[in-house]
Amino acid sequence: MQILIIEAALLLFLIFTTVCILCVKDILAAAIIYCAFSFCAVLLYFMMGSPDVAFTEAVIGVVSTIYFVVALKNMNRWCK
Amino acid sequence: MTKRFGGIVLDISFRVLVPFTLVYGIYILTHGEFSPGGGFQAGALLAAGIVLSRLIQGRSAGFNISGEHAVIWAGVGTFIYALTGFLPLFFGGNFLDYSFLPFPAEELHELHAMGILLIEIGVTICVMMTIIDILDAVTERADIDD
Repeated sequence: MQILIIEAALLLFLIFTTVCILCVKDILAAAIIYCAFSFCAVLLYFMMGSPDVAFTEAVIGVVSTIYFVVALKNMNRWCK
Repeated sequence: MTKRFGGIVLDISFRVLVPFTLVYGIYILTHGEFSPGGGFQAGALLAAGIVLSRLIQGRSAGFNISGEHAVIWAGVGTFIYALTGFLPLFFGGNFLDYSFLPFPAEELHELHAMGILLIEIGVTICVMMTIIDILDAVTERADIDD
């Protein structure tokens, strides 16, 4: 029962972060919220019993966030 | 690392995080048969360590690997994978048949473990160097456009 409550909370937080990524006007903030989304997905994969996928998602989430932040160097940070 | 860089937070976090990340990547590679992990994860973790040192200390970092060398090493990793695959063909086996690897081993499962470890080492080197090369390409383009 507790597992179900935690999983439901994580899923709701996942949807919340996704809507935040779509709504936010600052692209750097969107990249950082994407990192939070990735961490939430890691916890969900781990609870579903696949630590291998969770580990891959954790490492690739960090690396892709670094890519986004570095690629942001030569583009406008604020979208209209 | 006797040279100080930036503030004390960056300096201390570099000294703590980067060696731990690199050693943990090697642990994930060699312990991948018994626990979650393997070649791809180990390569991404090692690349994350080198990317961290690159982000903190710039191009003069201690663990930095330039883009040209990274492309060559990615090819070397693919070559290790292909060599492990083609080597049993010359000793009477099929492609990727670890039982026919020409290494001295007492029992068959030792040969299997050795072949899988060689494959994982090739995948690790290829993934690590490809991630470093993509980062190098992105930063180079950013530098040119400035």
